[in-house]
Amino acid sequence: MNTNSNVYTIVYTTIIVVIAAAILAIAAMALKPKQDANIKAETISQMLAASGLTDMNALSKMGNDQILAKYSENVKAAFLIDAAGNKTGELETAVDDIELQDNLKVENKNIASGDPSLPVYVFEKDGAEINVIPCYGAGLWGPIWGYIAFNADCTEIVGAYFDHASETPGLGAKIKDEAWFREQFVGKTVNFANADQLFRIVKGGAPKDDKSAVDAITGATMTCNGLDAALNTWFKAYMPFLQKKAGAAGIDEAGCCGEGCCGEGCGGDHEHCNGEHNHQHNHQEG
Amino acid sequence: MNEDLKKTLLNPIFKGNPITVLVLGICSSLAVTVQLKGACVMALSVIIVTGLSSLIVSLLRNSIPNRVRIIVQLVVVAMMVILVDQVLRAYAYSIDKQLSVYIGLIITNCIVMGRIEAFALGNKPIPSLLDGLANGAGYGLILIIVAFFRELLGSGTLFGFRVLPESYVPNNLVILPPMALIILGCIVWVQRSIQKDLQEK
Repeated sequence: MNTNSNVYTIVYTTIIVVIAAAILAIAAMALKPKQDANIKAETISQMLAASGLTDMNALSKMGNDQILAKYSENVKAAFLIDAAGNKTGELETAVDDIELQDNLKVENKNIASGDPSLPVYVFEKDGAEINVIPCYGAGLWGPIWGYIAFNADCTEIVGAYFDHASETPGLGAKIKDEAWFREQFVGKTVNFANADQLFRIVKGGAPKDDKSAVDAITGATMTCNGLDAALNTWFKAYMPFLQKKAGAAGIDEAGCCGEGCCGEGCGGDHEHCNGEHNHQHNHQEG
Repeated sequence: MNEDLKKTLLNPIFKGNPITVLVLGICSSLAVTVQLKGACVMALSVIIVTGLSSLIVSLLRNSIPNRVRIIVQLVVVAMMVILVDQVLRAYAYSIDKQLSVYIGLIITNCIVMGRIEAFALGNKPIPSLLDGLANGAGYGLILIIVAFFRELLGSGTLFGFRVLPESYVPNNLVILPPMALIILGCIVWVQRSIQKDLQEK
């Protein structure tokens, strides 16, 4: 047989490619459940690490089952909220059937279009509630995401964990690798008074007295800018929920538009508030 | 025949080592040798890919149209690499996350294509399989030697377990890629002083 004829060459390559494609498709399908389980356990590890219930070192030594069990033991509730901060659904937390809202890419688009379905994971640590929310955005080379843990009334950040798909090792990858970076977030708060800049990652160092700013990483400007944008986008989407929590805890008794607003005399009247805060007020009433 | 097989199997490990003698596959040997664990997984992956793709290409060798043989080889190698990556992602997820980029780059690892072109296309399946496995092993051996020194001196640990006392200050230079090149150079030096016939006049 002439193996150099055109017909033979075309038929041969076609057959080889189809066989290879079939083998890969079968392998991908067969391994998918196992891979998904790994990704799920990883997502849960990141939440647990953010909440401070356990650290990544301990988690990396655990099997998937142990991580799921740990989550199920410590989680009090997991639910979805809409753009106005109202609860729209529950997520299953039983160990055999843990549901996560972990397609952050889709939700990131939904935030932009104004109709997100955002997850809140409520953990219990030493008797106190911890609310964990995600964030997601674009780094320099690929997506970056993370989990931010708030205290019971969402007025203070108690932990954070970030991860990335392909940031530069030694530079952008430090958002994940360097403990000092995420530890900076502890004790910080979201600056509800300025809806355009809820949180800042500051190049050259954050002012010491600024409660909603942290230092950026040297040599990782693009990644830090991306993370800054991601945090602001997601904090803004969660703002109605976070403020409701803060309000319910008695911080905002006047029913007004949050810290730095017009104080007790406000009485819910829009005109007395600064213009930029009006929309916050509306959310709280809704 | 048995002598030939033995030679096929042993030659690439030392005398004709793909990294130190043929100087193929240098890039990945610099990148994945910071820790022994990663180096071992990488070594195993390359052994599997070189072995099985040599075997498959050797089985097909009489039917492959000569004009498109490189493309056919690439399809086979790429398929093996993706399979290895998928399996690692399912069963060794944390290691796969560290190695992912380099596993993908096995496709372009010169050892794989080099052995297919030089050996598998002209030899029977069994010797080709052995040749592929042995070249992978020769590559893996160097990887593990380099990783041993880098992890020991760079982190004071082996396979993540602390072996040097806490008082040892890790040498950060060893963690950086240039040190892998220096260690590699030392290995080449040692090998050439043992194997005089490799020395250029």
